[in-house]
Amino acid sequence: MAGSATAVGTISGGRHLPSARQSDRRFKWLLVAPAALLILAISIYPLLFSIWVLFVNYDFQIPGHAFVGLKNFSQVIFDPVARYSLWVTVVLSVINVTIEFILGLAIAMALAKTFRGRGVIISILIVPLFISPVIVGQVWVLMLHNPFGPTNYLLGQLLGYDVTIKWLTQFPWNFVALILADVWQWTPFMFVILLAGLTSIPPHVYEAAELDGVGPWLTFWNITLPYLAPMIFLAITFRLLDAVRLFDTIFIMTGGGPGTSTYSASFYLYTIGFTQFHLSRATAGAWIFMVLTLLVIIFLVRRLLKAETR
Amino acid sequence: MNERERRDFNAGLAADVDAWLRGEPTRRTFIKRFGQMAGMLAVAGGGLSPAFVSSALAQAQVQLEDPNTPLGKAQALALKASTEGPTDGSAFRAVAAAKQFAGANLNMTYEAGLQALDPRNFSGPLWEQLTGIKSTVVELPSPDMYSKPIAEHIARSGAYDILDLQPQWTPALADGGVIAPLDDYIAKYMNVADLEDYHPLYKALPTYKGKIWGFFDDGDMFALYYRKDIFEDPKLNEAYQAKFNKKLEVPKTWEDYAQVAQFITDQMAPNVYGAGHFRKAASPGNQFDFMQQFRSNGGAFFDENMKASIANDIGVKTLNNMIAANKASIPGNEELDAVSLWVAWLQGKVAMIYSWPPTGRMSAGYSQSDKAISFIPQSSIAGKVGYAIVPGGNPEHAFGFNKALAADSANLEAAYLFMQWACSPPVSLARCMLPYALRDPYRISHFKSDLYGQLFPSAPEYLANLNASANVGLLDPIMPGAQDYQLSLDRMCTSVWAGTDPMEALKTAAAEWDATTENLGVDSQKAFYLEFLKLPGATAANTVEKLGMAVKL
Repeated sequence: MAGSATAVGTISGGRHLPSARQSDRRFKWLLVAPAALLILAISIYPLLFSIWVLFVNYDFQIPGHAFVGLKNFSQVIFDPVARYSLWVTVVLSVINVTIEFILGLAIAMALAKTFRGRGVIISILIVPLFISPVIVGQVWVLMLHNPFGPTNYLLGQLLGYDVTIKWLTQFPWNFVALILADVWQWTPFMFVILLAGLTSIPPHVYEAAELDGVGPWLTFWNITLPYLAPMIFLAITFRLLDAVRLFDTIFIMTGGGPGTSTYSASFYLYTIGFTQFHLSRATAGAWIFMVLTLLVIIFLVRRLLKAETR
Repeated sequence: MNERERRDFNAGLAADVDAWLRGEPTRRTFIKRFGQMAGMLAVAGGGLSPAFVSSALAQAQVQLEDPNTPLGKAQALALKASTEGPTDGSAFRAVAAAKQFAGANLNMTYEAGLQALDPRNFSGPLWEQLTGIKSTVVELPSPDMYSKPIAEHIARSGAYDILDLQPQWTPALADGGVIAPLDDYIAKYMNVADLEDYHPLYKALPTYKGKIWGFFDDGDMFALYYRKDIFEDPKLNEAYQAKFNKKLEVPKTWEDYAQVAQFITDQMAPNVYGAGHFRKAASPGNQFDFMQQFRSNGGAFFDENMKASIANDIGVKTLNNMIAANKASIPGNEELDAVSLWVAWLQGKVAMIYSWPPTGRMSAGYSQSDKAISFIPQSSIAGKVGYAIVPGGNPEHAFGFNKALAADSANLEAAYLFMQWACSPPVSLARCMLPYALRDPYRISHFKSDLYGQLFPSAPEYLANLNASANVGLLDPIMPGAQDYQLSLDRMCTSVWAGTDPMEALKTAAAEWDATTENLGVDSQKAFYLEFLKLPGATAANTVEKLGMAVKL
């Protein structure tokens, strides 16, 4: 915009016209204003409001908004369920993203070369991406339900004895169930990004390696991985940012149970805010969670930028 | 809206999708028979003014049942009471007074799904035809039914006029100024004799600090439903007698319940299992079952210092009884919600369940006469079901609803008049009889109703059992923090089902209860709890029956 304004000023008079520039500048802000106001209204204002909520009582069970200092923070920090839910979030995110990355990379490498039917296979593989996580959760509930779901039956047929795993209500199977659902849905995301990365590696590099007699393992370590690194960081960053928000499948599949064993940070915040109506406490928890997430984001983005500049 | 109904609705959607895939009609097709209004009133012994017939036929929105059916007759009686009287009746007086507000619009919150079909299809349109007051139904998921009115009150938006609320929320909402007391309106408009028609367990529920903050409107009383054919089976009786040296009877204690359930499972599984429960996390059967068994075992929730008193021998005994019942139950018991349990029950897979009153109507196949309940299978056990008070003798009144007046309403008087009309004896009876409704009988006149008794062959016994259950029933704690306390119980139970030691789980829950109490203020919570203890049904020692107020039909 600024560039074009300068160009217009120069063309029209052969020199800069201050009044035209000012007018353009005003027009520029006029164009930006609706979007800026919208962002202020739906993003900045709630954010500032939430800062006020952090330090007052904003609880649908306790009338009034008395100043409470850091009490909302301390209630979250000293809540064992909050600390545990953070731990669950970290563990599930790391396991989910790791498995999805490994599987996604393997599938991408298998489908990197063209062959008959490749398009159909890729289309089928990415279908889970288009399904709502709530539906995914419900499907897996039906699949894993004990005793009515087919999973235990099929396992029983395979193993030759009755399998009665309580996938949704028994540790560690409830975690296995959540991981299964997440991996099933999000591995295609990894696969799509990594496939794009693989197809952008220049073929002549592989041809040169082949001529030099480099084996497949060395080729993978010395060519594929370095070339793919920016895409890997991109995929892991995006996926991790999404994984730490894990809520839908937990809500549908385990309800956070048994006990609080599958509470993720998001599920904990939802419960505190919208089941128990302790909104100021939930806000404090959300801020703590956001700061922790931000640290991870900064780390990952820096790595991502570094990888890109290599 | 409570959790059960949310799941009903979700399940209904899924079933509708299935039905659509099968090419069946999925949208419930209510019969619009407003033209039969004259015939209905004739059955009810009344007449119609030509102007009213013309007006009614012109609008043709309200969906009414065949006038020859019990529900059709009940609807006709409700209409007659609204238009012809008795002139001192609450329904008639509400309609007469409300006509001055014709043209107004009332926004009323309802639990999303089946609950909202009543004001959408019956009471809302009928009220509009009678008074000219329109209504907008705002469907909310259960947690929002509490939080949204508060948020709107803080914003002073006046978004709602009438609120459907769980009784346990009354103290917080009354103290917070979200709802308005009804006493002045009651004195002005209501035939106060109608207040005496409430079952004593329910009558006091909207009362707080000496004022009335709503009209009770849904008798969510748990009861035991059992298969008579199984309990009367001679071979089973013989085997039970041989094994335990006593007669096979409907269990009256929780120990007997687990024993009988286990015996039936041992004898009849996999065709039939002794019992089934909705034990899935947040279903929310765990908390209700614990609260009713714990109190019938003699437990009290808090001690004199307002410390949680659940982590004790009574708590352990309660959980152990529940574990024993789980072991005797249908496989997957801990993963069932209320709807899944109904499905198993209606398909004849379970010999005993205890649940909300729709169980009885579904068992008889009455509810399934309406497409809105198509997500529940047709009953394979109609005519085989008996009704009893739950073992232990103190069933839980699980949730329930009050209809309350939003303090910020711009139409306070009109809103109040709708509440008075909808909850009046004849209109509330017709609403409770709607097959798709999840409103359950709560007035003495409901329990005594001949028309309700004609809905299905065993309806009189069903109503008698609901009344008897209310006589000895227990209330959910009515105090701030009730959600927190109950959430802790649900977590505790699911944790125990997964193998945690009962005492350890009880201690965790007790610690959570104490944290909740301290957060809300020990003295303030103690005052609320002491107020709650004054209500009939707060403990097993002061049920309606023990206070000498039992209703005999």
